[in-house]
Amino acid sequence: MNFSWAYFFETLPYIASKLNVTLSLTAISAVFSLLIGLVFALISYYEVKGLHQLLKVWSSFMRGTPAAAQMFFFYYGMANISAIILNMSPVVAVAVIMSLNMGAFVGETIRGSLLSVDEGQREAAMSLGMSGFQMTTRIVIPQAIRVALPPLFNDIINLFKMSSLAFLVGVRDVMGSAKIEGAHTFRFFECYACVMLIYWIFTLCLTAVQKRLEKRCNAIY
Amino acid sequence: MVEVTNLSKTFDNATEVLKDINLRVRKNEVVAILGPSGTGKSTLLRCLNYLCEPTTGIIRVGDVTVDAKSHTKQQVRALRKQSAMVFQNYNLFKNKTAKENVMEALVTVQGKSRAEAEEIAIRLLRKVGMEERKDFYPSKMSGGQQQRVGIARALAVNPDVLLFDEPTSALDPELVGEVLSTIKQLAEEDSTMILVTHEIRFARNVATRILFMDGGRIAADGTPEEIIDHPENPRLQQFLNFVSK
Repeated sequence: MNFSWAYFFETLPYIASKLNVTLSLTAISAVFSLLIGLVFALISYYEVKGLHQLLKVWSSFMRGTPAAAQMFFFYYGMANISAIILNMSPVVAVAVIMSLNMGAFVGETIRGSLLSVDEGQREAAMSLGMSGFQMTTRIVIPQAIRVALPPLFNDIINLFKMSSLAFLVGVRDVMGSAKIEGAHTFRFFECYACVMLIYWIFTLCLTAVQKRLEKRCNAIY
Repeated sequence: MVEVTNLSKTFDNATEVLKDINLRVRKNEVVAILGPSGTGKSTLLRCLNYLCEPTTGIIRVGDVTVDAKSHTKQQVRALRKQSAMVFQNYNLFKNKTAKENVMEALVTVQGKSRAEAEEIAIRLLRKVGMEERKDFYPSKMSGGQQQRVGIARALAVNPDVLLFDEPTSALDPELVGEVLSTIKQLAEEDSTMILVTHEIRFARNVATRILFMDGGRIAADGTPEEIIDHPENPRLQQFLNFVSK
């Protein structure tokens, strides 16, 4: 079977047109994983009793199991015990799992960046009589953001690629539409080449943005 | 000005770093604390503003008294406002310029307007010879310059007592002088100061009183003449012999 360039260029626009599904999945999950991650990070930063230990286990679990398994477990498994999940549209289910999964990673990223602000500066703030809140908002967070932004952007790039798992539950995103198209024409070679090209180009764009962000973050102080 | 009563500090691993310390520092005294490493000098200093929490004992600075047995968050904050600390590693806020470092507590803790805080900051930076660097971030300053900003930041809150925790220990030798002369200038202005230092000669010149700490206790307490020139305590003699070599 030969690689048909004609078919490739014919199919590319169709598959690329599903980028909106992929991107909205990424965007929504990015927002929620940032929120989840922020809450997680604050809990472990302040070592909130009880929650803090629980979170450690949760985070280890979410980061130590494949996202695909989590998705099936949630969407097909837990649907047996929850009517909400049973009636959930596949896109929402994917967004939930992506947010929960990436939230654990984002939590670690943010926690690390908070800890990167050295103890000495915190002691200085305390010795001047600043409150814990003033210290966190005026000294720790401004510095932590600068540290966290580049790796957070990395997490978002990973989220973008992770969204391709949506096809597993029948969502017609970039990956899903290629799978369906390929099943009709048996031209898997071209269809998945389209998928890879689309993801790669978009990741390149995101990486370029990240590089600039990193430069700016380093240049501030 | 500062009164420490029956202060003890035991770390988690059961090492007793401070053993029943009693100390009174009067207004305008410049007290230097000397002694071998690991004898609790820094711990004592850090207990004075509760960066290090004593196990037992009562600490009074200015008109705030805190008992280790029954201290509250509010008391600790009130105590901290009585003093200001200059750290070994400067500990400047890295996201703030020299001027903003000095202004920070004036605005957040004392509630002064930015304009007023800025005026005070500029005046203090001039005093420590750092006015020209007021808009520099710490990363763009030498260690000596950072430490002088650290001193200005401590002065800004107009503390009853200034605490110096080995202020020159992290500096390159050629930068020690500029920091010491800044501290000397403050001592001559009748500030109340307690400083932990390894600079014996400097302590001899600047301090009005010297404490020698050994094994978690104050082993000797006297004027610079008594302590440095005519040491009686054998451990102190040994220490002075060792550092002067």
